[in-house]
Amino acid sequence: MVEKANIPTARRISPAWIGRAGVAALTALCILARADAAPGTPAAAPTTVAGFSYVKSLSGIDEYRLDSNGLTVLLVPDHSAPVVTFQVTYQVGSRNEVTGTTGATHILEHMMFKGSEGFNDPKGNSVKQYLERVGGQFNASTSFDRTNYFATVGRESLEGYIAIEADRMRHLWLHEADRQSEMTVVRNEYERGKNDPDNVLMEEVTSAAFVALPYHHPIIGWKSDIEHVPIGKLRDFYDTFYWPNNATVTVIGDIEPAATLSLIKKYYGVYPHSPAPIPAIYTEEPAQSGERRVIVRRPGELGTVIIAHKVPNGRDADQPALDMMDAILSSGKNARLYRALVDQGMALNAGAGTDLHRDLSLHTVYAVLAPGATHDQVEKALMAEIYKIASDGVTPAEVARVKQQYIAADAYKRDGTAAIAGEINEWIAVGDWTLYVTFPQQVQKVTPADVQRVAKQYFKQDQSTTGWFIPVLPTAEKGS
Amino acid sequence: MIRHYVLTALIAVGSAVAVTAAAANALVNSHREQVAGIDLITYHTDVKDVVVILGSLPAGDAMAESGNIAIPTLTGMMLDRGTKTLDKFAIAEQLDNVGAEISFSVGTQSVEIRAKCLKKDLPLVLGLIAADLRTAALQPQEFNKAKQQFIGALEASAQNTEARAHEAFGRAVFPQGHPNRPHTVSEYETAAKAASIDELKAFYAKYYGPAHLSLVVVGDVSASENQAEVAKDFAGWSGGQDFIRPATPAVLTAAHEVSVPLADKPSVSVIIGQPTGLRYKDPDALALRVGTAILGRGFTGRLMGVVRDKEGLTYNIDAAVADDSIVDGSWDISASFAPALLAKGLASTRRELDKWWKDGITDQELATRKQGLVGGYLVGLSTTGGLASTLLTDVQRGYDVSWLDDYPKAVNALTRDQVNSSIKNHLNPSVMVTVEAGSVPAAAHQP
Repeated sequence: MVEKANIPTARRISPAWIGRAGVAALTALCILARADAAPGTPAAAPTTVAGFSYVKSLSGIDEYRLDSNGLTVLLVPDHSAPVVTFQVTYQVGSRNEVTGTTGATHILEHMMFKGSEGFNDPKGNSVKQYLERVGGQFNASTSFDRTNYFATVGRESLEGYIAIEADRMRHLWLHEADRQSEMTVVRNEYERGKNDPDNVLMEEVTSAAFVALPYHHPIIGWKSDIEHVPIGKLRDFYDTFYWPNNATVTVIGDIEPAATLSLIKKYYGVYPHSPAPIPAIYTEEPAQSGERRVIVRRPGELGTVIIAHKVPNGRDADQPALDMMDAILSSGKNARLYRALVDQGMALNAGAGTDLHRDLSLHTVYAVLAPGATHDQVEKALMAEIYKIASDGVTPAEVARVKQQYIAADAYKRDGTAAIAGEINEWIAVGDWTLYVTFPQQVQKVTPADVQRVAKQYFKQDQSTTGWFIPVLPTAEKGS
Repeated sequence: MIRHYVLTALIAVGSAVAVTAAAANALVNSHREQVAGIDLITYHTDVKDVVVILGSLPAGDAMAESGNIAIPTLTGMMLDRGTKTLDKFAIAEQLDNVGAEISFSVGTQSVEIRAKCLKKDLPLVLGLIAADLRTAALQPQEFNKAKQQFIGALEASAQNTEARAHEAFGRAVFPQGHPNRPHTVSEYETAAKAASIDELKAFYAKYYGPAHLSLVVVGDVSASENQAEVAKDFAGWSGGQDFIRPATPAVLTAAHEVSVPLADKPSVSVIIGQPTGLRYKDPDALALRVGTAILGRGFTGRLMGVVRDKEGLTYNIDAAVADDSIVDGSWDISASFAPALLAKGLASTRRELDKWWKDGITDQELATRKQGLVGGYLVGLSTTGGLASTLLTDVQRGYDVSWLDDYPKAVNALTRDQVNSSIKNHLNPSVMVTVEAGSVPAAAHQP
C-alpha cells in the first residue's frame, strides 16, 4: 500500500526528482500492430459480449462500457508472456477531501485490505492471502486524483483476483477495530515520510502554491485528521465514491478479450450505478498575486531548493512542450541543469518535471546543494536556465534528441504489463486515458518555438513558489 | 522460450513434468560462453527490439582492503566521465541520441553495470561499455568533481535512518576484514578527502579486467551476433581479480544493542539480526530463506500479520537473508516504529521471533509459501529486466543458467524438518544484535 504524497512529480511520471535522473519519459504504447479505424469511420468492436458497449480503440487498447452500471473497461491483449496485470482505478483522491477528512482516501485504501464480506482472513481467502499464495505482485496507491489497486498474476489466477477486487468494491468491511489498528500503521507511514526533510519541503511548497484547490493538503493528510477521522466518515467516503461508474478496470496481458469481459461482467455486473451522482469539484484556484516563499529548517547536511509554478491541467495541449522543456533541462549529462549546476559543482543533482493533475498541475525545478554552495546561488542558477530558454529558445538538436529518447522509451514500455498499467492509470487520473497513446505523438510534433513559448508563458517570477530546505546540523550526532 | 517456460510452470507449480520442460527451455534459450575472457550469457526472449545488459566486475568497496576505502567508489564514478577518445558529454550524446542508457554503481564486492537499448543500438552500447571499462580517462579535473559529489552524497546519507541502521548493523555483525563489514560515513568522508588520482589509477590497473567479469545480455538479441560483438569490443583486454572469499565465516557470541541517535526523526529504523555463516549455495541456505519468508515476507508473513495488521505498530516490517551471494551473509528483521511505540514494537517483534525460532513453521505454512515463492519467481521472470537480474545473481552465486529452472524444483523439494532445522542450526535470537537509528527514547533501551 503505497502513499505517494511526498514525492513531487510522482504522478504519471517519475521524472527528475532528488535521487532520480533521466528523461521524464512517457511514451506511446503501440502494443499491437492492429490499425485503428480512420477518423470518421465507425470502428468494429474487437469483440462482442452482451451487456457491454464498445466505445473505441487506440493502438491496441480497447475501451468498453458495462451498460448496466457504467463501469469502464480497458483491455490490452499482449501474449508475449503468460501473465496478466489487472487494475482498478477509482476516480477519487485527496482532491476529494475536505478539512477533517484529509487523508481519508489513503486510509480507505489501507482499509481495503482488511477484508470484505466474501473474502477475508478468517475465510483464508483475503486479497493478500490469495495473491501471495499464487505469487502475485500486488499493491495499491493513492494520489491527488485517483486510487488504484493492482496485481500481476499468472493468467490462470486472474478470475480469482477479479472476484476479490469486485467484492471489495461494494462489500468492504469497515470495522472500527480495524480503523484503530490501521490508523497507527498509516501514522507510521506519515512519520517515515517526515524523516526526510526534502519530502517535508515538497509538501510545504505544494501547500503554499495551492491556496483553494484541495491539492493544498498532503495526500496522506494532516496528522490530526489521520488520527481522528471517524469510521462513519470513511463509510460515507466509500459509499460516495466506490461505485462502478466511478471506476476503470484495466486488464493487460495474456487474455482472451471476450472471456475477460465475461468475467468482468460476472463479478462487477451485480452492482448498480451509484445512487447519487459522483460529486464534482467546483473550486477554482484564485490568481496568484506575487511570489511565495517557504523555508524548512530541520537537522540535515545538505540544502535543497525547489521552485514551483502552477501550469495547466494534465490534458492541456501545452503539456507536451513543457515535457520537452523538462527533458532538455534534466535528461542525462548533456542536460542544461547538469551542465550548469552539477558539472559546475553547485549541486549534487538537479532536475525538472511536472506533477500532472486533473485541475491545475504543478511544475518544479529543484537542486540538492553541493557542499559549499548557497541557496541563493543555486536558486538563481536554476531560474537562469529557464529564463535562458524563454529568451533564447532551445536548439533543433536538443528537440530531436528528446524525440529519439521517446521513441526508445516506447519500445522499453512493451516489456512488462505492470509498467503499462501504471502509466495508463495516471492518464485515467487526469481524465483521459487516450493521452497514454497521444501524448508521445504530440511530443513528436513539438518545435523549438513551442518550448520557448511555454517557457515564456508559465515561468514568471511573481507566479513562483520557492522552497528552501536549510539544514541545521546537530554536530554531536554526525558519524558513528 | 522463457515466455512459454513461465506459462508451463505457472500452470503446474510443483509438477515434475512441467519443471522438466522448463529446464529444457532455459537451456535452449541461453548461451553461456567465455568470450574475450568474459563470462558472457546471452538469453533471447520474445520482447521486440528491447535489450537489457547487466554485468558485474569484482572491483567493489571491499577490494580497497588496507588502502584508501573511497577509491573503489571513486573509480566506479569515473567510468562514465570520459574515455581516452571521448569526453563525458560525447559519450552522453551518443547514448541520448538513441535513447540508450548505461550506468555503473559500486557495491560491496563488485561494480555493477546496467544498460538498456534498442536492438539496433546494441553494438554501440556494448562498444561504449567496453570503452568505459577499458579506457577510462581518469582525468584529475573529473576526479575532483567526483570526489566532491561523493562527499556530498555521503553527507546526504548521514541523516538517513535506514542507511545509518544498516551501517551500524553491518559493523556489529561482521568482523574487521570481512568483505561485508561496512565503513562509517565519517570514515568514507575522511578517505574521500584524502584520495589521490594516483591511488585511483593503481586500483583501476589492478582490478579492471575481464578475468571475473560477467555480462548478461537479455532480450531481442542473437547469441552469435552478441558474442561476435563482445569478442571485438573486448579483444586484447586482460587482468582482473576474483571476489574476496574469507575462509572463516562471521560469528556472534553475545546479544547487544546499538543506538544511532539522529535528531528530529519521527520514525525509528530498527534492525534485529545476526550473521548466518552461510553462503546462498550452502546446503541449508535455501531452507533458511524459505523459513525466513514465512516469518517476514509480504503481507502474509507472520511479522506483518501480527505486528502490523493486528497490533498496528508499524508501517513496514520484514525479515530477510542478505549479502550471501559471494560470502557468508546475514539475517535480519527490519522495521520502523514511532519513538513512542518503539518499546512495544520491539517486544512484539521479539515475541514473534522467539515463537518462530522455538516452535518452527507448520506444514501448511510451508506448502503455501512454496507456492507463492515459485509463482512470484516466475512472474518476476516475465520482464527482460527481471530475467536479466535473476541470471546475473545466479551466476554470482556460482550456479549455471540451469538454476533458472532448478530453483522451483529446489524450493518444492524442501521439507518442514529441513526448514526448522536450518532455523535452529543457523540462528539464535539470544545472541542477536538490535540496532535503533533515529530519535530513540531512553525507555526503549530496556532489554
